[in-house]
Amino acid sequence: MNLALVAIVLAIGAGAVLAVSTRDGAASATGLAVALLGAALLSDPLPSPAVLGARVVAALLVATMIRSAMRTGPRQPSPLGWPSEALLATAGAVAGLGLSVGLAVAAAAGGVPVGVPGIGEPGPAGPIDAGSVAVTSLALITAAGTSLLVLGAAPLVHGRPGSRRAIGLVLVTQAVLLLRIGVAGPAGELEEIAREALLVVAGATGAALASAAAGSMLGDEAGDEPPKPDASGEARRSLLPR
Amino acid sequence: MTLLVLAAVALGFGLATIFIGERRRSLALAVGLAGSLAVLALALVMPDTDSLIVGGVGMVSTPVVRAMAVAWSASLAVLGLLEVAVGGRPTVVGPSLIGLAVAGLALATRDPASSMAALAAGGVAGVVVPGLAGWLDAPNMPSRLPTTNRGTLAILGSGLLGLAVIAWGASAAGPLGGAGAPVSVDPAGQLSLGLALLVMVAAVAIRTGLIPLHVWAARFMEGVSPLAVPAAFAWGSAAFVLVALDWSQVALGPDAAEAERWLIILLAMASVVLGGLAAMVHDDIEHVLGYSILQDAAVAVLAFASLDPGVVAAARNWLVASATVKTALAAWATVVRNTYGGHRLDDLGGWARHSPALGIAFAGILVAAIGLPNMALFQARTDLVTSAMPGIGPAVALIIAAMPAIYLGRIAIAGLAPISPAIAAGLSGRPRWTGGRAAGWSEGSLTQAIRAIPIELRANRAPLMAIGVLALSVMALLTATGGAGG
Repeated sequence: MNLALVAIVLAIGAGAVLAVSTRDGAASATGLAVALLGAALLSDPLPSPAVLGARVVAALLVATMIRSAMRTGPRQPSPLGWPSEALLATAGAVAGLGLSVGLAVAAAAGGVPVGVPGIGEPGPAGPIDAGSVAVTSLALITAAGTSLLVLGAAPLVHGRPGSRRAIGLVLVTQAVLLLRIGVAGPAGELEEIAREALLVVAGATGAALASAAAGSMLGDEAGDEPPKPDASGEARRSLLPR
Repeated sequence: MTLLVLAAVALGFGLATIFIGERRRSLALAVGLAGSLAVLALALVMPDTDSLIVGGVGMVSTPVVRAMAVAWSASLAVLGLLEVAVGGRPTVVGPSLIGLAVAGLALATRDPASSMAALAAGGVAGVVVPGLAGWLDAPNMPSRLPTTNRGTLAILGSGLLGLAVIAWGASAAGPLGGAGAPVSVDPAGQLSLGLALLVMVAAVAIRTGLIPLHVWAARFMEGVSPLAVPAAFAWGSAAFVLVALDWSQVALGPDAAEAERWLIILLAMASVVLGGLAAMVHDDIEHVLGYSILQDAAVAVLAFASLDPGVVAAARNWLVASATVKTALAAWATVVRNTYGGHRLDDLGGWARHSPALGIAFAGILVAAIGLPNMALFQARTDLVTSAMPGIGPAVALIIAAMPAIYLGRIAIAGLAPISPAIAAGLSGRPRWTGGRAAGWSEGSLTQAIRAIPIELRANRAPLMAIGVLALSVMALLTATGGAGG
C-alpha cells in the first residue's frame, strides 16, 4: 500500500467535503481545486508529463470556472453540515474499497489473473482467495471515486440550481472517471484527452447554468442567502461565465 | 488524417461561433456559416477509408463516418443559411459543428471508452446553448432553465453511464473476463452480459429520450428553435447509438439472454408506438418533429435486441438517413413558423398552395421518411425490425412505415386545403422583384445593381428559405435512397 496515495485520497475527500459544505465561495472553490488536483495525481506510477499536465490544467480550469460562477449567485452551503458530509465521504470510500475487493474476488473465482486491473499485489497469474487480497492503487482510486460519487450525487440530483449543483456535477463526473480507472485499469493517452475534455465541459456547463440560475433567482430564493450587493442581473443576459 | 483536420476545423469554428455569438450575432452567424462550408469541403475530399494511430489508439475513417460527415455538414451549411434568414440568437451552427467534430472522432476511434467520453462532452453544447438561449428569449417561461438543467444531466448522465458499463465490461470481473479472456458462458456470466446490455440500453434511452424518459426531451424541444433540434437529438443520438451498438456487438455479441432481448424490444416498441401515436395526435408541428425523432431512435434501439450482428449495418443506414430526413423536417418547420407565424395545423391551411417550393420540399421529406421498397432507409427499417422480431417483423415494419405517412400526411393535407387568412397574411412564398427593377438592373450602373442585391434578398426571403428546405429535402431523398454505406 502506497502511503502517498492514501494521503492523496484523504486530500481528495477533504477537498470535496469542503467544496460541498462551506458557505464561503472562495473556500468552496479551493476545496474543489484540491479534490480535482488530487484526482489528477492519484496514479501509481504517475502518468507521462503531458498527461499529467493535461489533468492539472483541466482541474484548475474547472475550479476557476466554478469560482467565476459563484460570484453572482447565492451561497449554497450543505444543509447537512461538514461533519455529516465527511462521514458520508468516509462511508463512500469504504464502500469503494469493498467494491474493489468484491470485484477482485469475483475475478479470482473466475480464474482471472489478479493484480491488473483490480485489487491484489501484482504477481504470477492464478486464482487467489479473499484472504490474500491487499489494497492497491486501483483500489484506492475506486475508493476515491465512490467517495466523490456520494458527495456529489445529492447536490446534483436534489440541489437547487446554482453553484452547489455545478459542484455536484463536477464531482460526479470526476467520480465516474476515477471509477473507470479503478475498475478497468489505466486509460490510454487518447482516452485521457477525452476524459479531461469531459471534465472541463462538465465544469463549464455547471458554471454556465449556475450563472443563469443566479440571474433568475435574484431575490426570490427563500432558503438561500442573498447575493452580494454588486451582483446584478447581468448574468441573466450571459450565456457563458466571464 | 483528413478526419483530424475536419474535426479541428469544426471544433475551432464551433467554439468561435459560440463565444462570439453572445455579443456579435451577425459575425457569429458568418463565422458559423464559413465553418460549416469549410467542414463540408473537407468532408467531401475525405477518403472513404483512412487510418492512423493517435495516442496509442487506432482511428479508422470508414464510409459511414464519411457519409455522416458529408450529410451532417451539408445539412449544417443549409441550416446556417436558414439561421441567417431567421435571425435571432446564433444557437444552431456552433453546437452542431462541435457535435459533428466529436461524433466523427468518436465513430472513427477504436476505443469505446474514449468515444463515449468524447460524445458526452461534445453533446452537451447542443443542449445547453440553445436551451439557455430559449430561456433568455422567454422571460415569462422560467421553467425552461430547469429543462436545460435536466437536459444537461441526461446528456452527461447517459455518457457517464455508458462509460461505467464499458469500464465494468473491460474489468477483470466483468462480462468479458479481462483482456483476452473468453466471454463466460456460465449462468453468472450470462447474467452479467444481460445486465451490461440493459444498462447500456438504459444509457441510450436516456440520451435519446425514449418513453418513459422522454419528458425532458419533449420540454426541451418546445423551448428551442427547431433548427437546433437535429444536432441535439437526431445527429447526437445517432452517434451515441452507433458507438453503443458497436461496443455491444463487439463486446457482447449475440450472447444476451432471451429475457433481456424481449425487455429491450418492449422498451423500443413502446416508444415506436407511443411516439408515433403522439406525432399523429399533436397539432403542433414542433411536437410532430420531436416525437418522430424519438420514434426513429426507438427503431434503432431494436438493433440491441437483434440476434444478427450484421444488423449494425442496417442501424448505420437507418440512423444517418433518418437524421438527414429529420433535419429537413426541422428546417421545414422553422421556415413555416417564420414565414406564417403559426405552428399548429389549424393555422396552416393552404401553406403548400401559398408556397409551392415549400410544398415540393415537404413532398420529398414525406417520401424519404416513409421510404420505398428499394430504398436503403426502407430496407434498413425492415432489417432492424425483422432481426429483432423474426416472423412478425416484416408486418410490424410496414405498420411503422405507415406512421409517418399518417402524421406527415396530415400536414400535407393541411397544405393542400384552401388558403387560410393567417397563411394569406404571411410572407409570399413566390419570388418577386421589387427594389432591383427600380434601381435599374438593365440601365443602372453596376454599383446600383450590386446595391439592389440585399434588397432583393430581403424581399425574397420566404422563397429563398423554401429553396433551402428544398435542398435539404433532396439531400434527405438521396441519403434515404443510398444509405450511409453501412
